[in-house]
Amino acid sequence: MHNMETEQWLSSAAADVLETTFFSPVMEEAPVSGMPCEGALAARLQFSGARSGAFTVRVTEGAARVIAASFLAEETDEPAPEQVQEVICELSNMMCGAVLSRLDRGAHFDLSTPVLVDPLEVATAQATSRAFDIGDGEVAVYLHLDD
Amino acid sequence: MAYRIMIVDDSPSMRAFVRRVIALSGFEVEVCLNAGNGVEGLALLENQAVDIILTDINMPEMNGEEFLRRLEEHERFRAIPVVVISTDATENRMHRMLELGAQGYVAKPFSPEALRGELERVLGEPNA
Repeated sequence: MHNMETEQWLSSAAADVLETTFFSPVMEEAPVSGMPCEGALAARLQFSGARSGAFTVRVTEGAARVIAASFLAEETDEPAPEQVQEVICELSNMMCGAVLSRLDRGAHFDLSTPVLVDPLEVATAQATSRAFDIGDGEVAVYLHLDD
Repeated sequence: MAYRIMIVDDSPSMRAFVRRVIALSGFEVEVCLNAGNGVEGLALLENQAVDIILTDINMPEMNGEEFLRRLEEHERFRAIPVVVISTDATENRMHRMLELGAQGYVAKPFSPEALRGELERVLGEPNA
């Protein structure tokens, strides 16, 4: 499935998670374009249940640091790289749950534990995707639904 | 009143976030115990008393459902109020966790205010 409705749910859920729990308001939203910058991070998890597939988040280095600092409230010290990675995994977990609960309200899903993946190997032609500018960088999300 | 709390979640960053929200909500925290799953949570409870448990559902080794079952089976542990924090926002899941003994449920993503509201509902207002 790759339609407008899926794209709308993906868009609203991802922006909601960024703003509500990670304190990173979305400045601008657009289709995903271009290759990831150096230092980008990506996390992916699989889901099964009423639908199955994969959900991936790719975050530029600057955005990842800001999101981690906001989430962990590290105002003076930079979060350690491992902390940044862990927060991006949590971001992907929360976004995936939010997207699926809007796509299929009431349906049960099992989510795998998010893992870091190569940001260069994120994009798939079959995925529905959106990119969010949070001021300090970009957060791109990819939802792949199995047939 | 200063509370002894336990946060059970396999994500250290999520535990840190919840801990921060609790502190910012005005609840005085005497002790905050951290567990990465239900097995670790039960082990900590053997030697430490807590006033409230906040637990995730989707965790390795022992998930939140099994953790709640084990708490309910235990004479001392079943009296501890439990608030579930989960990405699963479905009514079915929420009802199941409440039937298993949870007293509160917060779906992710949540705002600090939402968690504070649930804590106040379960524990009463801070310093009341």
